[in-house]
Amino acid sequence: MRKSNKKFKKLLLTAVIGAIFPAAAFSANQLDTLIQEVEQLKRDVKDAEEWRSPNSLIHMAGYANVGYVSNDDPEIEDSFNVGSFAPIFHYQYRDQVMLESELEITQNEDGSTEVVLEYLTIDWFINDYAVLVAGKFLSPIGNFRQNLHPSWINKLPSAPPGFGHDGAAPVSDVGVQLRGGFHLGSMKANYALYMGNGPEVKAEIEDDGMGGVDEIEFDGVEAEAFGADSDGEKVVGGRFALLPVPSLEVGVSFLSGNATVTSYEGDIPSGGAPSLDDIESSGYDVVGVDVSWIGKGMDARYEYVNTEMSGANIGGFDLESAEWETWYAQFAYRFMPTKFEGVVRYTDFDSPHASSDVEQTAVGVNYLFTNNFIGKVAFESNKNPNAGQTAYDRWMLQLAYGF
Amino acid sequence: MKKNITKKVLTSLAALGLMTASLMLSAADYPEKGNFVKGAKTWADNCIRCHNLRDPKELRDDQWISTVFHMRVRGGLTGQETRDILTFLQQSN
Repeated sequence: MRKSNKKFKKLLLTAVIGAIFPAAAFSANQLDTLIQEVEQLKRDVKDAEEWRSPNSLIHMAGYANVGYVSNDDPEIEDSFNVGSFAPIFHYQYRDQVMLESELEITQNEDGSTEVVLEYLTIDWFINDYAVLVAGKFLSPIGNFRQNLHPSWINKLPSAPPGFGHDGAAPVSDVGVQLRGGFHLGSMKANYALYMGNGPEVKAEIEDDGMGGVDEIEFDGVEAEAFGADSDGEKVVGGRFALLPVPSLEVGVSFLSGNATVTSYEGDIPSGGAPSLDDIESSGYDVVGVDVSWIGKGMDARYEYVNTEMSGANIGGFDLESAEWETWYAQFAYRFMPTKFEGVVRYTDFDSPHASSDVEQTAVGVNYLFTNNFIGKVAFESNKNPNAGQTAYDRWMLQLAYGF
Repeated sequence: MKKNITKKVLTSLAALGLMTASLMLSAADYPEKGNFVKGAKTWADNCIRCHNLRDPKELRDDQWISTVFHMRVRGGLTGQETRDILTFLQQSN
């Protein structure tokens, strides 16, 4: 029955083709060949489709930047630099789970290469409103670090002072995070809540000139993810953002817990330094506010972060409470229909050490070759009004590519 | 002459078979389809919050899946918004 069906189809196909192309009627052999070829093509398409849409996907994205910096500082020569190469790997199983990892590969001044694990998380898509993120993640405190720092997104070649290493804003953490979004009537909200290992704290020790210790004070909070929680103190934090209209986002962030001094910065006096074993932890609190408004070629942002450490005692030396505070306001405008964009940013970073304080005004012009390939020229005016020392200005050129 | 016509017919039929097979097989069956129109609006409203809009033609359908799920985590999108944006991008590339 099946055979006769096949024979009938053959005859029918021959008749149809013969009718359409009477001069090209096929022999039975040609028809067999044709049918085999079509069947093979169907199999090939099916195979290709399997390759194109399997249950597991592997994908690579990321960004890179290269540039040139001309610094007023006579001790620093003007230099070309390779900035960084940051590949992001995604491995996803359907719409249930995704592994995300970003590396940051940079070249040091001596030519050596440094590789840093920027983040590595396993994201479990629990439902439409919640994703569980576990591993090492970018800090969700504020907006700059988690969303705006990639060079093809950042409107200027540099990060605002206080939002980098040893700044006021946490950079990353290792822990577990719940994040997502939901609608509140006509408004939209997004949130992130997490628990992590928290930071480690460095203390600066001053020599009394006779080999002893004169004073100990907080030096900096290393709010970058550590592979282990050396002080055993966890922190809890998060961010909640509301979008009353799609073009306006207002976010508030908090982070709270304890942190402990785990290392000294600077030269240890010859008579030794007090042991850091079994010292009590101090209160560690961060608050932040961020606002962004986008519309008609304009991009306006404001972000404030304050980090505070309460006092501590190390070996009988009292450490005063310390505070790091930074904020920036940035405005960018795209001159449509050209590909030019202008940007200006003001940042004020204060720390317990006046020598680290910076008041920075940055002005830049960007050329968008494409929306993800951007050329930037910027000038930074840096001032240090609290330390009576010179802060050097610099010119920066950068090519940034997001892929 | 006859050989040429035969070749053309074979090529046409092969192309027809290829197209039919393509239509029979869908792209990834996950996530479930979203709404194209809502996706276009959600894409325009949300992606620009952080970065310049990316051309839908930059990536293939499968590449957009991981990219949009990555942005779901980053941008606090809901699952439905993710599906809508993905549908828009996959049908616009």
